[in-house]
Amino acid sequence: MRVICAIGRRGGPELINRLTKIMVNKAEYLLLHVIDTGPRHHLEDYLRGPLHRLPHHDKPARQEAVKAAEETAGQASIEETMEAAQNVGLNVSSSIKQGRPEEIIVQVAHERQADLIVIWAREGAVGRAPIGPASVGHTTRFVLDHAGCDVLLLREVNI
Amino acid sequence: MSILNLYAVIGVLIFLITLSIIMIRPFGISEAVAAIGGAALMLIGGYVGPVEAVTLLLKNWNVYGFFLGLMAISALADQAGIFDMLAYQAGHWARGSGLRLYLAVFAAGTVITAFLSNDATALILTPVVYALVTRLRLPVMPFMFACTFIADTASFLFPVGNPINILVLNTFGSGLPTFLRYLFLPSLFCIALNIIIFVWLYRRDLKISYNPADLPEVILPHRPFFQFTIAALVLIAVAYVVASAMEFPLSIVALSGSGLLLAGAVWNRCLDTRRLGREISWTLFAFITGMFIFVRAVENLGLTVAFGQGLINLADTSPLRAILLTAGGTALGANLINNVPMSMLMISVLGNIRSGANGQALVYATILGADLGPNLTTVGSLATMLWLLIMRRKGLEISTLEYFKLGITVVPVMIIVGSLLIWLKL
Repeated sequence: MRVICAIGRRGGPELINRLTKIMVNKAEYLLLHVIDTGPRHHLEDYLRGPLHRLPHHDKPARQEAVKAAEETAGQASIEETMEAAQNVGLNVSSSIKQGRPEEIIVQVAHERQADLIVIWAREGAVGRAPIGPASVGHTTRFVLDHAGCDVLLLREVNI
Repeated sequence: MSILNLYAVIGVLIFLITLSIIMIRPFGISEAVAAIGGAALMLIGGYVGPVEAVTLLLKNWNVYGFFLGLMAISALADQAGIFDMLAYQAGHWARGSGLRLYLAVFAAGTVITAFLSNDATALILTPVVYALVTRLRLPVMPFMFACTFIADTASFLFPVGNPINILVLNTFGSGLPTFLRYLFLPSLFCIALNIIIFVWLYRRDLKISYNPADLPEVILPHRPFFQFTIAALVLIAVAYVVASAMEFPLSIVALSGSGLLLAGAVWNRCLDTRRLGREISWTLFAFITGMFIFVRAVENLGLTVAFGQGLINLADTSPLRAILLTAGGTALGANLINNVPMSMLMISVLGNIRSGANGQALVYATILGADLGPNLTTVGSLATMLWLLIMRRKGLEISTLEYFKLGITVVPVMIIVGSLLIWLKL
């Protein structure tokens, strides 16, 4: 069995914790972290000087700093999850990708012929209640709709 | 149609086409090119005389000098590492609490905006905070919105907060006491509203804490220059306060301040002239030059007079409605065309009122609207925004939609509260 563990910047160790309570048989786990390029594009568009602001030049040094921070954060998330997974003796590998997380998660699951995707209902709270309407974030909603395999939806308690 | 009418119609057509190009930017034509083109057509058509144009530009030397000085100060302070250090200190002070860090970002944004202007916060602090928050693995969007919003919300606390203020005050010259009398309370209320609403909206995200050990160390490019820059910035801030109190041209303070920082950089041998040149928006000067001439032509055509007269009449009978209309209209206009031309048009509309409390209240309502307006939409103008919404085109990120929702709910509240407070001063 192949299992994709889609992790954001937080909540990786807790995901492993939940998973070990459910999983019985031996499986191959892939920790997948996708750096969401959407917010950064939003930032870049904003800095490029939209119409109602004064025209400005790009600040390439700043954009490099943002990219570096994204990679460091992703790496940190993978590392702490990896540690949690190894502690409970899971057979894990990891991957960091860039792009739209929802598309990449589905795509990787397809490519690797995964049997299961484990994912949080949404990353963080983003100003919404943990259950009820709109409690499933757009990334997870897309994965639920488009993944060709089973999806294990984890509900946030405290991450 | 008589020749005279035809002449006026062509003028109006140039006006409409130029504004449309600025609004829609077909084929990626920059707003600077559109402004210069519009101005050139107005000059060729004789809607503005060459002597009149030159006199007008010379009269606004303060605006040019201020823009240049301001951008140079921000760029040099950035090179010294001031912004990175400030973000680091905020992270250090917050001791792992997302909420405390959020409040610290608001505080930093307010101070930077008040003394280095809105663009320093919007364009330099925003990416710095964005990188920091990403690194700390906190939700990025609330922090990014905090920076971009406070850049506009805090920009009428003090005249230096927004070049638009200088643009308006340059025509309706009034000292710091008058500015503060009309805008200090509205500014405090809007900043408080901004913080309260955002903290409430993102209350769940702000509960997330971070590990202070994740704070990245700031590597200062040159420590002596950093210390020199801090001292110079304090000096510049004091000079701004004194100069605005004494009605001394602020451009001279901004230019001297940037000269001081430049000298410090040369002395410490850490001046990066190429980077400095790149971080100053030279096209901005072309844009405002074009706009000054263009708006004067519109004024000469008599397009703004009638509107101005109506507004003045309304101000006499129902001042609150006039203030709300001015602030709201300017905010909307700033999103339709651009901050700068919209303020220039309003200056022209209000041109005939120089005395009277009612008239003066409208001048400050214009500042309120022009400063707060840009919060309404972020990427592109209102027109582009609606277009994207309708088309649901790829490229409209979730974050853009969030921002739009935020702007459309928060900005009207601020405009109404701000207008009410200006009205109470009457």
